[in-house]
Amino acid sequence: MNRTKRRGLNPTILFVIMLGIGLPLSFSRSVILNAIIMLFTVLYLCWERVRLRTALLVLLIAFPLAFGSWASFMFFGTGDRLHAAWIYGTRVYAYLLLAMILTMTHSVQEILLSLHHHLHLSNTFVYGLLGSFNMMKNLRDQYRRIKYSAMLRDAPYHFWQAHFYLRLIITALNWSNDLAIAMTSQGFTEGAERTELSVDPLPAWQWGLAGLLIVLYCGAAFLWRPW
Amino acid sequence: MTSLSAHQLSFAYDDREIFHRLDFTVPMGEFSLLTGPSGSGKSSLLKLLAGLFPQYGGRVTSGQVSLNGQNAAEIVPFQRATKVAMLFQHPARQFAMRTVNQQIDFALANLQLSAAEIYRRRQWVLGKLALQQFAHRLVTTLSGGEQQRVALACVLAMDSEIILLDEPFANVDINGRKNLLQILKRLQETGKTIFLADHDPTGYCGIASRLFRVDADAKTVRTVPLENLPTEEENLTPVRLSDELLGGRLRWHDLTYGVGERQLVHNSSFTLPAGKIGLLSGKNGAGKSTLFNVLSRQHHFTGQLSFDSVLAQKVPLRKWALKVGQVFQNSTDQFISMTVKQELAISRKHSRQPDYWTPRRIDQCLADLNLSRVVDHVCYRLSGGQQKKLQLLSMLIMAQPVLLLDEPFAGLDLQSIQRVLQLLKMVKKDLQTSILIISHQRYGIVAALDYELRLTGQRLILQGRDSDE
Repeated sequence: MNRTKRRGLNPTILFVIMLGIGLPLSFSRSVILNAIIMLFTVLYLCWERVRLRTALLVLLIAFPLAFGSWASFMFFGTGDRLHAAWIYGTRVYAYLLLAMILTMTHSVQEILLSLHHHLHLSNTFVYGLLGSFNMMKNLRDQYRRIKYSAMLRDAPYHFWQAHFYLRLIITALNWSNDLAIAMTSQGFTEGAERTELSVDPLPAWQWGLAGLLIVLYCGAAFLWRPW
Repeated sequence: MTSLSAHQLSFAYDDREIFHRLDFTVPMGEFSLLTGPSGSGKSSLLKLLAGLFPQYGGRVTSGQVSLNGQNAAEIVPFQRATKVAMLFQHPARQFAMRTVNQQIDFALANLQLSAAEIYRRRQWVLGKLALQQFAHRLVTTLSGGEQQRVALACVLAMDSEIILLDEPFANVDINGRKNLLQILKRLQETGKTIFLADHDPTGYCGIASRLFRVDADAKTVRTVPLENLPTEEENLTPVRLSDELLGGRLRWHDLTYGVGERQLVHNSSFTLPAGKIGLLSGKNGAGKSTLFNVLSRQHHFTGQLSFDSVLAQKVPLRKWALKVGQVFQNSTDQFISMTVKQELAISRKHSRQPDYWTPRRIDQCLADLNLSRVVDHVCYRLSGGQQKKLQLLSMLIMAQPVLLLDEPFAGLDLQSIQRVLQLLKMVKKDLQTSILIISHQRYGIVAALDYELRLTGQRLILQGRDSDE
């Protein structure tokens, strides 16, 4: 569980930046600032040497969404349609890239444990989530089994049918109950002290950096208000 | 000395009472086997003893489980775990962490041990259970048997005195089972208490030192003399081979399959006879359920599999599912709608033999199976036995020409078993269905069967003949 020392910011700091800029971003009306965020986050991702293929794929998948937002404001908007279209088009990518600087540079486990250390995220939440992420593969097998059981009755499920999801949900509920029981049997106690085995160094200057970035952004977005 | 016992314990789910004023003490330092049909309450008893129930289900209506004189359910988990811990039926669902090391550390960190002590215990247990080479592996990449070994490693590292195991071999292959049983026996000989629940009592002769059975009718647990433990040979009341096994529609040639690296069956050829009921037998983990998954094309295989001489690869899966039907071991996997009525209506609407499965016949079957009263109930709320019968009936109504049944008698009383067998015999005669059954239980069943196919040494052998066809 020991984290090896690595380059880049601590996951908690990235999380704070993501929320601290992401929230005001929803209210700011500036294409230039969106572009600046996109530029800096892309530079950060390059510096972190994330997997190029995955990154491009994620950006590509988001394209229809960004284009959809852009087009709907461009063609059906009122007022300054050009400005509005570019605000909403670039906003999709600004959000996405802000999230990517966190999720593409750290594993789920690193993120959750870091949030536990520095932002007091409860252990129940951390280990419950970790357990469910580990069950993803089994859930895929179950998905196949459910589809097959419907074929056996000549009533194949389609993705738009509620029954299909109902059964997946029932399965997932059962599994999460099984996991909770097993964790309790292994001594996991809600709210109790545990030995902290992971170390997650967070130098004070990173907090300062996060604060500075958020203040700079809010200042620019709500006082300077560029195009 | 630790003690674990139930005093005047009554326990119920909703309105169904499972135990009534049960007095039971776990024999310390022994290897105890708890048997009884599926759904009789074995798992509930284990979870009660582990202090996990009623927190995670059911209701205690009288009495309590005492661990060293204290109510087990009220002891905080991190203290309880050092005395009593449990291994579960689904190995993969008991891990919160990704790797073996992390998982063992997780359990030990719950006990608030120092980091140095956690490291020491982890290294010790990895060595003891020969898990060193798995230390950094993802638990999801391990086999069922290896996963159970990791779960056992957590329990050992926590130094729990009493180890409860709930059907621990249900998803473990034959070698994994043998390996685990040896480890457990060794642990018992060095002072641990092993309390294991298994619906199938075979393979424990010479290992279990105490035998118990859940008596579902009396809602209690009875001590049974060890002599009642079946030896492997005794269990094999042979099926009398009916003389004429004529041709059938499902046929396989040079069929080979395995799980992971391990080959289960090599170059087998056979034609599933029409209008006959066969028993597919073989040891735990030999690959019986996997054969069913191969025949229904849910598992990879090599060789030729054909229906009416058309190769499986040429038939879309959707059509294949209407030729080869499968009754799953786990009933709830089969249900595709909410209520019993809806479930049967879907089968009737899509039946391959709509003229045969008239509403009148279905009503008659419902009455025979004692299901008439529950037609408006939700499938998931039925008892284990009712679910099994509903599952069977709905697949019989679908009337695929080939029907594979995986443990269809599990959890049924003798009377229900006879009713189900009558139904199967009626269908095979009237519709010339090829039926193949996996059932660890032979008592009361064998006489109704026509042949036995035994899976042993990677070969499928028709019993009563010299070699496989």
